[in-house]
Amino acid sequence: MRCAVFKNMVLQSLKNCLWLSCVLRTPKACFWSTASGGLIIQSVSNDVYQNLAVEDWIHDHMDLEKQQVLFLWRNSPAVVIGRHQNPWQECNLRLLRQKNIKLARRRSGGGTVYHDLGNVNLTFFTTRKKYERMENLKLVVKALKALRPQLDVHVTDRYDILLDRQYKISGTAAKLGRTSAYHHCTLLCNADKFVLSSVLKSPFKGLKSNATPSVPALVKNLFEEDPSLTSEMLLDAIAKEYAVQHQIDHHITLINPADETLLPGISDKTNELQTWEWVYGKTPKFSVSTCLNMVYKDSILDVKVNMDVKHGRIEVCNIDLPEQWLPPGLYSELVKSLTGSKFCPNETTTLVTTLLRVCPQDDELHTRWSLLCENIIRLM
Amino acid sequence: MFSCSSTLWESGTPADWSMGMGNCTLARCPLSGASGSQGLAYTNSKKLVVNSSSVFTVRYFRTTAVHRDDVVTVNTPAFAESVTEGDVRWEKAVGDTVAEDEVVCEIETDKTSVQVPAPAAGVIEALLVPDGGKVEGGTPLFKLRKTGAAPAKAKPAAAPPPPAAPEPVAAPAPPPAAAPIPTTMPPVPPVSTQPIDSKPVSAVKPAAAPAAAPPGEAVPTKGARSEHRVKMNRMRQRIAQRLKEAQNTCAMLTTFNEIDMSNIREMRAVHKDTFLKKHNLKLGFMSAFVKAAAFALQDQPVVNAVIDDTTKEIVYRDYVDISVAVATPRGLVVPVVRNVENMNFADIERAIYELGEKARKNELAIEDMDGGTFTISNGGVFGSLFGTPIINPPQSAILGMHAIFDRPVAVGGKIEVRPMMFVALTYDHRLIDGREAVTFLRKIKAAVEDPRVLLLDL
Repeated sequence: MRCAVFKNMVLQSLKNCLWLSCVLRTPKACFWSTASGGLIIQSVSNDVYQNLAVEDWIHDHMDLEKQQVLFLWRNSPAVVIGRHQNPWQECNLRLLRQKNIKLARRRSGGGTVYHDLGNVNLTFFTTRKKYERMENLKLVVKALKALRPQLDVHVTDRYDILLDRQYKISGTAAKLGRTSAYHHCTLLCNADKFVLSSVLKSPFKGLKSNATPSVPALVKNLFEEDPSLTSEMLLDAIAKEYAVQHQIDHHITLINPADETLLPGISDKTNELQTWEWVYGKTPKFSVSTCLNMVYKDSILDVKVNMDVKHGRIEVCNIDLPEQWLPPGLYSELVKSLTGSKFCPNETTTLVTTLLRVCPQDDELHTRWSLLCENIIRLM
Repeated sequence: MFSCSSTLWESGTPADWSMGMGNCTLARCPLSGASGSQGLAYTNSKKLVVNSSSVFTVRYFRTTAVHRDDVVTVNTPAFAESVTEGDVRWEKAVGDTVAEDEVVCEIETDKTSVQVPAPAAGVIEALLVPDGGKVEGGTPLFKLRKTGAAPAKAKPAAAPPPPAAPEPVAAPAPPPAAAPIPTTMPPVPPVSTQPIDSKPVSAVKPAAAPAAAPPGEAVPTKGARSEHRVKMNRMRQRIAQRLKEAQNTCAMLTTFNEIDMSNIREMRAVHKDTFLKKHNLKLGFMSAFVKAAAFALQDQPVVNAVIDDTTKEIVYRDYVDISVAVATPRGLVVPVVRNVENMNFADIERAIYELGEKARKNELAIEDMDGGTFTISNGGVFGSLFGTPIINPPQSAILGMHAIFDRPVAVGGKIEVRPMMFVALTYDHRLIDGREAVTFLRKIKAAVEDPRVLLLDL
């Protein structure tokens, strides 16, 4: 719904919000009065879903003709995959779960990145006509150079920012809507490189997919180049440069992504981004073709598994077991139950334990069943 | 508001645009690519026949504007900057009804995601590029059969694959009126029962259609007598089958009792803060019941045993593994707390909490959900007063907890109002006698009403 009437309603409600005068960092009556071309906002939340929801909200609701928006945000540890990527292919899901690192799928294209508080995110909102990624990145580089003139940073034609000509410190992604667009990028200040490299390495073998692949790159933190740098300093420098270029006051408006009165509909957007259907279900169709090497009674069983997964659900399932290893009825029950169910550990565990409860109590059978199913679940 | 998108191109003809599309924003749209030349290019190329549903739309220029039910081909918008090609990702499938402006597909070009909305309301007739296929600006993407259909119905049309069809939320009878444990365990796994239609553009539209409306059918008006069928979930079928088998083999009956929850409540009130401080866990009611059950099971080992129908033996178990029934949208799930006979209240709360955490993190293992010698189910969370749980095969008994209600009861000859909970024990009479069942339940009652019974082993 992009009609002007609705936009005006939103602007009006924003104007009327009392918080505006409370949270402005510099004493100004209302940010609209200085709205001549630009607005800089920063999220008070570190929740990746809330922040992505803010991007959606601005993209859908704000009128960017009169002013462009720069959104500054940071997240607690999270892996963010591109709109059309495959999480199984891009990261180590098991490790993510163990380390309690969130997984989010953003709405823009591009590759997978790791966020933590040592990484700064910038989103440049403009109308579709004024969409210009190179300009935005040059602004960032200019800001960095103004802050620390000795930094060797430059923008590549792949829209990366490189440090010392070889280390990637920023990656870019964008989304073009009908009338508005946004370009966002990361900036590594002091992220945990060790965690980054371990979570972004997928142990998955035998996965075939036409999902957008990520291009791995050597990364470095700006902090390593200059230990006096902090994320706050970077944010401030970039905001300053943005203010200069858009001829607006250098002040940053803080927003709370949980504020439903300020951003009506934001909690729905936040919730949607967390659903399984969005994070996993939006994976382009892929196939798994692998061999389980199961150790059973001092011998190794090679079990070929082939699955087609669409919308995150198993469409086709083939498990190549030695004949009679499992009672045929139970085996076909397993395959039939897996078909159509989510390619998800919890879901499969529930399914196989339920099936186990409904079959005859036999220790040998039990052991074989558990062994096979555990191996299958480990794939997910 | 917008009769045609500024990013799209219809392969109609120049005549159409001047006629019917007066308020079209084509004039100032960023895609120049001369409209006229696009039309002309078609007359020269073989694409002529492919792009139109019939030869007539080419020869007789006026027809497409007049007919309401025409087919239009939507092409790839020109890309921004100097990008030449992108990958197509379909959001909709052939046969889906779409509203005007609803996103049909997204094109990923060089880290940028571009949405391609439908130029008008209609039904997707054909997808001209496979998912993930490469396209360039101007490549035909899909064919849309325009209809005058209202947009609201389009939402449920994007139905997820059949097995995931909207599942009835409230299960009518059966699996032991199970519910989340009153402490910390969340349902496993979190699944929405409604098809999620996640399009940023349509998310802003006022949603009118009920989520369960079948695709393409008229939204039922008041007093309509239509019905719709939903395929029964596989798991549900299996469980139902097994439950019936259990009912047929076990001689199931239920004995009841009631528990005065005052002491347990008081214990909680007095100790919950210290408990939280020391163990970093909330002290709930479940631990009291789980421990009481373990205590009673050790006292009456036959309730912890099971009949092996194949060998006609009674299998007595020296360990107590308690399954705690949890209702999830996917069906009944029974995570197991193992070796409860060796645990104290804190251990039990921790075990339950950890299971909940595993569930939340999607890390549940088979051994977390497998086995169990006795089940506890809590219908109280749903507010049930009284009820007969059904045994969870292959066990021999199940304890059903219900809601706590203040009731007047006789205490020491006087009427007092106490928080009371009805409990039910359904047991297999082939194995367990009435006397044993009643004694067992009374033991649980005694242990919950006064936890000192556990300490003193009374």
